Amino acid sequence: MAYLLQQLLTESVHRHPDKPAVRARGRSLTYGELDLRSSQLARLLRERGIERGDRVGLFFPKAVESVVAMLGVLKAGAVYVPLDPHAPVRRVAAIAEDCGVRALITTGERLATLPARDLACTVLVSGEARGAEIPWSALETFPAAAPVESAIESDLAYILYTSGSTGQPKGVMLTHRNALTFVDWCATTFRIGPDDRLSNHAPLHFDLSVFDVYNTLAAGATVSLIHEEITVFPQRLAALMEDHGITVWYSVPSALVYLLLHGDLAARDLERLRLILFAGEVFPMKYLRQLADLLPRAELYNLYGPTETNVCTYHRVDRWKLVGQDRLPIGRACANTEVVALDEAGRPVPPGGTGELFVRGPSVTPGYWGDAEKSRRALVDDPRPPQRGERLYRTGDLVTPDEHGEYLFLGRRDSQVKSRGYRIELGDVEAALYAHPAVIEAAVVAVPDPDVGSRLRAFVALRAGETVTGAALQTHCAARVPRYMVPERIEVRTELPRTSTGKTDRTRLAADARLMEAA
Amino acid sequence: MLSMDRDARAAIREFVIDRLAPTSGRGDIGDEDDLIDSGVIDSLGIFQLVAFLEERFGIAIGDEEITPENFGSVMAIERLVAARSR
Repeated sequence: MAYLLQQLLTESVHRHPDKPAVRARGRSLTYGELDLRSSQLARLLRERGIERGDRVGLFFPKAVESVVAMLGVLKAGAVYVPLDPHAPVRRVAAIAEDCGVRALITTGERLATLPARDLACTVLVSGEARGAEIPWSALETFPAAAPVESAIESDLAYILYTSGSTGQPKGVMLTHRNALTFVDWCATTFRIGPDDRLSNHAPLHFDLSVFDVYNTLAAGATVSLIHEEITVFPQRLAALMEDHGITVWYSVPSALVYLLLHGDLAARDLERLRLILFAGEVFPMKYLRQLADLLPRAELYNLYGPTETNVCTYHRVDRWKLVGQDRLPIGRACANTEVVALDEAGRPVPPGGTGELFVRGPSVTPGYWGDAEKSRRALVDDPRPPQRGERLYRTGDLVTPDEHGEYLFLGRRDSQVKSRGYRIELGDVEAALYAHPAVIEAAVVAVPDPDVGSRLRAFVALRAGETVTGAALQTHCAARVPRYMVPERIEVRTELPRTSTGKTDRTRLAADARLMEAA
Repeated sequence: MLSMDRDARAAIREFVIDRLAPTSGRGDIGDEDDLIDSGVIDSLGIFQLVAFLEERFGIAIGDEEITPENFGSVMAIERLVAARSR
């Protein structure tokens, strides 16, 4: 039984060394090549002084090398940190700094954009290597046998950064056991086999990709990494699904809605598509019904879970019930996971009541990198008897349990929102606006949107005598936060409305924003 | 014809620079600069752009025309608009 993620590869390599494991941008790598290259990369990293537990940043657009890099880092006993190749440099640099990245796997082009950092080594997947940089081709010169395994299952495998409410992204630490708990559950539930062809639509810094990559390796299947540019063109994306014979698709609902509305799916032969999984946001029922009608043979599942727990509940869509359903449950707990809705006093909520969802089990993160305070707030002692000090992750999501043990998602208890499946702390966006010297007050609101979950709108007040346009403030934000966090509209006002207690009147601003939409 | 083309290009440039480029963090954009790999046009931006073109130029753009060839640069978009306006 695998207790480290990279061990998922062992049996698949043995069974099908010549079978393609990964496809991306017209290239592919067999299981044999993936195993060899990742072992060589591990040797290289070790030789350059990377030790167990060191963090290695992966900073390049999706390519077959992405999976080599992930496995190579793990085989070296180290921890990989996928960095968003489209995020502003300053945010990427802040993340690299936060987790003390000791090595970087990147391209010449991306490297040139980053501020210089003292690194044990820099490996380039493409571009000309200069100075101490190591070209990808150098891997060939390293031994084919991976270093001796010394890691254990509770060691970290990767760190995924998400939006933080104060403007500093937070690094969710995930162990081998965390990820394997999820992969094991998937293997049983979805029966992924060697004939399956998985897609990878989500970016690699997004936890949906953990499903795509590791379930593929565990099953000896093939994964198609869909590079970022293809996702802009819905018909290209649909063509790829057909051409690659995708059997398992996992993405945020908004990507499926996008394909449904603009991808001309009806013209495609998607007979092989047997499983469609979605997570990250609420799937609008209208579109889900259309999708179900269009793909009558595919099984559909709604998966739920924050990065901190990966998927912790699931609901299999019942096609016959879809017509009368006004919303989809997030469902019941995955194997080896317990979920419970607790009230303010820490008591389990009866069916029909409202509580916050807490998660217990081996898929739950040990905490946030370098932030013991945040970790303590998110991971709390189980208040239920016998109180033996076991920790629960508090999701911040309000839910209601039904009489069958299935949960319904109601909303957030804080100001986190979802847009295109990305989790966004409104405070993170506001912090970016406040970083502008002319801004004295900023409020960001999320306007619900059927296609993408929500759209961000910002209202700002400027210092007396300052004149800055909304577009200029967008540019300012774009240099600080990822694109999905930049408000689509920023309205400059002389002052922001206040409540009777003197706080910014967010309810009023949200109403104004909805009016702006309607206009 | 030439002056109409110039107007079209200016309008397209303006939309790309004022509406799409800010959210990608790019500043100046040349007529032939790539808009896709650079992230200026993403999956949301492309439909804002299509809606703008349809309204501004009174044309209809089909989903099958939403390709990297037609939207890869300001020049490419202008060619698409010119072809559809004829």
